[in-house]
Amino acid sequence: MKKVININFQGRVVPIEETAYDMLKQYIDSLQQYFAAEEGSDEIINDIEGRIAELFSETLKKGSTCITDADVEAIINSMGRPADFEADEINVQAKVENESQKNKEEYSRKESQMPPPPHRLYRDENDKVIAGVCAGLANYFNLDRVVIRVLFVIFFGALFIPYLILWIVVPSTATTAIGSFRKRLYRDPDNSMIGGVCSGLAHYFNINVWIPRVLFLLPFITFLFKWSHIGPWSFPSLINFSFSPGAAIIYIILWIAIPEAKSTSEKLEMKGEKIDVNSIKSTIQQDLSGVKDRAKKFGEEVKERAQEIGATISERSSAIGREAASSARKTGGGLGRVIILLFKIFAYFVVACIIISLVIALLSIGVLFAGFLPYKIYILQDGWQTVFLWGTLLLFIWVPVIGIITWIIRRLAKTKNHSAFMTYTFIALWTLGWASLILLISSVSRDLSARNTPIEQTIPLSNPTVQKLEIRNDSKNDDFITGRNWNFRPFSNFDQDTLFVKNINIRIVKAENDSFSVRMLKVSNGASREQANMLANKISYPMYQKDTFLLLGRGIAITPSDKFRNQQIFLTIAVPVGKRILINDEVERNGSFQVGINDFGYYRWRVGEDGKYDWDDDVEYIMTENGLKPVYPDMDDDIHEPSLPTGPKSDSVYRYQQPTQKTDSLKKVSASRKEKETNSKWDFSTIVMQRFLI
Amino acid sequence: MDIQNTQSQMRKGVLEFCILSIIRHGEAYPSDIVEKMKAANLHILEGTLYPLLTRLKNAGLLTYRWVESNSGPPRKYFSMTEAGLGFYEKLEATWEELANAVKTLTDITPETSPIENTETSTPNNNQ
Repeated sequence: MKKVININFQGRVVPIEETAYDMLKQYIDSLQQYFAAEEGSDEIINDIEGRIAELFSETLKKGSTCITDADVEAIINSMGRPADFEADEINVQAKVENESQKNKEEYSRKESQMPPPPHRLYRDENDKVIAGVCAGLANYFNLDRVVIRVLFVIFFGALFIPYLILWIVVPSTATTAIGSFRKRLYRDPDNSMIGGVCSGLAHYFNINVWIPRVLFLLPFITFLFKWSHIGPWSFPSLINFSFSPGAAIIYIILWIAIPEAKSTSEKLEMKGEKIDVNSIKSTIQQDLSGVKDRAKKFGEEVKERAQEIGATISERSSAIGREAASSARKTGGGLGRVIILLFKIFAYFVVACIIISLVIALLSIGVLFAGFLPYKIYILQDGWQTVFLWGTLLLFIWVPVIGIITWIIRRLAKTKNHSAFMTYTFIALWTLGWASLILLISSVSRDLSARNTPIEQTIPLSNPTVQKLEIRNDSKNDDFITGRNWNFRPFSNFDQDTLFVKNINIRIVKAENDSFSVRMLKVSNGASREQANMLANKISYPMYQKDTFLLLGRGIAITPSDKFRNQQIFLTIAVPVGKRILINDEVERNGSFQVGINDFGYYRWRVGEDGKYDWDDDVEYIMTENGLKPVYPDMDDDIHEPSLPTGPKSDSVYRYQQPTQKTDSLKKVSASRKEKETNSKWDFSTIVMQRFLI
Repeated sequence: MDIQNTQSQMRKGVLEFCILSIIRHGEAYPSDIVEKMKAANLHILEGTLYPLLTRLKNAGLLTYRWVESNSGPPRKYFSMTEAGLGFYEKLEATWEELANAVKTLTDITPETSPIENTETSTPNNNQ
């Protein structure tokens, strides 16, 4: 029992079985696809439809009540399927002699006996032991297949996986025969939203189009699910959004790399034979049948070759005296081939490593740059510098990344025609990128070329005679924004229009009197000394004493108009003998005290008067005649440093005075051990000034 | 050298020539053309014929008129234009030339070839 429907076909009502209709529709769709690229394709389809309609009415006239599956099938057979058109144009002789099947086979055999074109790697169907990978490689590199096979056997462990991959990925020469269309990745122009990449992928993997589309869109949507928390508010993390252009870049690369399916055969290749586990399995099964025989053959071949080589060697040794030249050339050829092969493999390996590391390096620079973009206005001037920055970012970094990845994909996809135009475009763009990079660097370094005249000023302390000074962050300003995955130091603190740079170096020296004192040295670079002086004067770094705490500000405020010109602060804290100092570990954690663009970077805040101290955070130190000593030299600092409440409390002062007296004896013991003479008159600012003037 | 390409090129030219020669004798309906070619033992699929006709028509070599049919939709009957006639005559001349040339060349028997004799004689001289 079959359902019969009426269709309006070429202006006539045709009763047709539903299944027959489906078949017909599919057939006409395939014709449309086939003739899509042809001029006047509508007319051709129309003519064919007209002919089909005519055949239908003939059938109906003969007394059939409706068009059946068999009718449609007969018509399709007489009209021919798109795949037959190709064969028809080629295999006419075969058809005339009514031996099409036989001839086709013979033809394909002949075809595959011809060496495949050298620019494409095929698995050799005719001379295979397992899957023809080695023979294919040998053809490709124009080498003796025995050499490659022996290499594969020797390095079985290492080359096993590559062999499997090549087996699956590399097409067999059998696929170059007529009739079977190897599936290849194309962009589908008929079913595209942007470039047809997604629908091409869908065809290739035989999945629904929406799957790759959603996958490509996903990174653009995910920012909705990532939330940034600032204070009590949450909002979609737009920063993450703007930093995840990965999908777009991949799309663009694929767009460039994958050829568009223009011709019919390309379209058929695009939709070609399903590649799934079953087809891979059947290929492998086909290949494996007869492995034994072929392996035997291979063994004989190796034996022969070994005998041959042995013969050549013996021949050579016997002929050393007489005909050195000609026989040496003979064996030298065989030996040279192996050496060349090894050299080639090595070269390919090196090239692959270089390319991969280049791509990774460029990618990371690109990501770094992307992270740097929000800070752009604090460093670069508007106008040319910004242009150079974008030029560097887009042309110097992303162009080669896209270029190399495109090249790799084109190599993997075995795209035939190398477009010289594209190569030159890439090279030209990259040259522009180099130019922007050089101009950017020179322009920025000009802005940083001059230094200011350093002047040290004393910071007044409200109560310089406390027993202990603890340095910690001003907790009011502790909320700051950093990216989750990147932290572009020293720019840790970042307000809407102000950047807080913690380019701060702390130095502890011995005080000459019995009270704490703090001196601040401001330094800055600039395009000229005047500008550097101006910028240094503009540095305002808030810090104040509250009880025993010395509270440090958030950082040096940088505004877009003043720019970051490596402004730095050197804080010199003078500690009187017998008094203590402690640097809270969050001081360092919440900002960097290490980064300087010039050679100031190495001055970590632990610098003491005689050079460097091995300083620990959250450890109390006491100033002795011979320099700083830890208060509890033998004990774990965690035990003696209970976690402090965030706000400074006055009881903590008393709590900490107790151990002070207890450890006075310890201090004396360690003091007596000290023999090194320290230069207490060491003037830090002169050293800094010297560095500035170098 | 791609044999597929060569064969398809060979056949394409001949197919057009054959179709034109059928139409030259008078108006023709595509399925008649297929029948006539089949009778001459030159098989062609209708699906191959229609695009060829369209191409020839678009090139101005053929023209067509609609003829009402009692068995289905109106039929397209193709006939030759002036340009098509000129085209056909040129093809015919070329075909004759080619056929003669090919026949002459393929009839040459291998033993009369002087090249092979010299080749086989060289190794003998060495020994």
